[in-house]
Amino acid sequence: MDGSPIDIVIFAPLALIFGVILFWFIQLLFIESQKYFLSQISHNHDALIKFSNFLGVLFQTMCHALGYTVTKSGISSFYVSVNYGKVSPKKVRRGLLGWTSNAFLFIGPFFIPGILILICLLFLINSDYFLISYTGYTFSENFISFGINLYNFSSGFLNFLFTIDLLHPFHLGFLILLIFMGMGIRPSFIGEKNQEKVDMIYDLKNIRYNILHKPVYILILILISYIFFYISILTEQNLYITIFTILGWLSIISIVSLIITHMILLLIKLTDNIKGVSKILPYLVIPVSYVFLRLIFFYYPIPYQNSISLLLTIFITLIALIILLKKNTNKFKTNIDMNSLFKLGKGRRDEPRRIIRK
Amino acid sequence: MNQDELLENEQIEKILSPHPLSFMGLQSLCIFLILWGILLGWLVNFSEFKDYFLNPWLTLSVWGIILMVVGVIASLLTIRWRIFFFYLGIFIGGIVILFWLGNSNEVSIFIPFYSVSVSILGFLIVELYRRSHKYIISNQRIVFKGGVITKQERTLRYDKISDINSKQGILGQIFGFGTIIPISVSSFGLGSDNSFAAGGVQMGEKKVKFLGLFGGGKELQTPRTRSYYELHGVFPYKDIKKIVENQVQGSVITQYQQEQVSFQKEQVDIQKQMRDLLKKQSKSNDNTSEMDEKI
Repeated sequence: MDGSPIDIVIFAPLALIFGVILFWFIQLLFIESQKYFLSQISHNHDALIKFSNFLGVLFQTMCHALGYTVTKSGISSFYVSVNYGKVSPKKVRRGLLGWTSNAFLFIGPFFIPGILILICLLFLINSDYFLISYTGYTFSENFISFGINLYNFSSGFLNFLFTIDLLHPFHLGFLILLIFMGMGIRPSFIGEKNQEKVDMIYDLKNIRYNILHKPVYILILILISYIFFYISILTEQNLYITIFTILGWLSIISIVSLIITHMILLLIKLTDNIKGVSKILPYLVIPVSYVFLRLIFFYYPIPYQNSISLLLTIFITLIALIILLKKNTNKFKTNIDMNSLFKLGKGRRDEPRRIIRK
Repeated sequence: MNQDELLENEQIEKILSPHPLSFMGLQSLCIFLILWGILLGWLVNFSEFKDYFLNPWLTLSVWGIILMVVGVIASLLTIRWRIFFFYLGIFIGGIVILFWLGNSNEVSIFIPFYSVSVSILGFLIVELYRRSHKYIISNQRIVFKGGVITKQERTLRYDKISDINSKQGILGQIFGFGTIIPISVSSFGLGSDNSFAAGGVQMGEKKVKFLGLFGGGKELQTPRTRSYYELHGVFPYKDIKKIVENQVQGSVITQYQQEQVSFQKEQVDIQKQMRDLLKKQSKSNDNTSEMDEKI
């Protein structure tokens, strides 16, 4: 133990809490960005929006039900629809149990989809990436350990994603699951009418309310964390760091799935600018080019063929998208750009218009 | 619907067909067949488990067993044994074709291709079935037409509708379609769910041969009919529901209208009484005038 006693006793347990909160806020930013993207395409893709709303509502109701089950409140009714979900408890609990079930409702949707993906990931990637290292007792040492654990997991997870074999049924299934979860992590409603109770701001308000109006429970939670940390140190078990590391992994999984969902939403948004049937071409280019590349590499094998196929597929899709956008958009574009026309007109403002007319 | 089929003063409001995704129950049978065929093809040809499937009969057995198990589970859950027989037919068909081709060593390639081919055929049949449905909503009645080979037709006047049941699944909520079952006064459109539980008990191990069978039945009335006799998976669901409900409402006398009718009846009765009184009065006048004349 190299650190000062104050550092070990007071600050060290906070390192992991801060780490998890930091990742949680990054996740929140991505969720807000996804919400913006979805609202941008909502007028053209009603079914997609409803589907993503359904996933969000489903996860939220599942968390709500889980909260009532854990606190032994019981579930009297469970209802999920595309734009509304409701779970009613058999017994309305107050005090700590009621507070805990509320915490499940507001924080659960951010982590539950991640847990489902993590379980699937356990079967797909090397278990070495899941090993948790623990080396220190001070704030900085804990923070570094947390970072190392997240780095190990992230490198394994991203390595898997960059070498994913989309002709492998389980890998393809995992990618689809990742995209669906990415859409469902968002606890916000996109639609014509704003629904307050399925909105992130509503959740944040409730979290703030829970913190400010029930400070005793927060203190109890922090106290439990401290006691748990001391027990972990004294028994030389890394349980404390394990729990927070897993929470960090869940945030990383959520962030990655949100990034992938962003890419898909961007593709949808761009293809909306293409008119006519050629709109579906970019979506067809993805599987056709991937299968074609894999067939080529099957007969002429090269190292990293999965990654190269994936990257080339993304590149070909982008090229196809750019060509279609250039071809289909603004037919009145001039061959010479506007700056050159201004130069030709020696600064006269009406010169470009005159040249175009001519 | 031809012009000559229309009744007097009849106007067509909507002509509808089920939404392409409204027969997802049937389509999912084909989707499962494709997925399982491709998965088995991958397991046998490309996965790390391919060495276990060197015997073609083992591959065929695994394929058949999984099909049967899924068929039984799906049949039990939906109370429709046709699913099991559908998969059984596909399995037997596959074996027959394999024997006919006479090359059982190519099972690993045959199964995925056969599964995909049968599924495509299945999708086409479902699409044909879907397109055979036609619902005509007019201002006087709803006409349900359908049938691929045998043509079926049901006509339901709005004043004969006693109840409207409507349902919308998750896919329906996402894509905006749903099913509307108009239940007639004669309870056409109502089905029943039957459940039966049975269990056997053997008392003792060797000598006592007592075997008991316990059972119980339960029947529950539920709105259900064939897709030809309901507005199955119609789009846009909310608009169609509103049209049907408005038409039904329009053919039923409302409370206000009932009050008006009873008021009019009262007035007619009063007028009748007045007429009778006037008749009586005129008679009595006639009598007095006759009397006067006699006098």
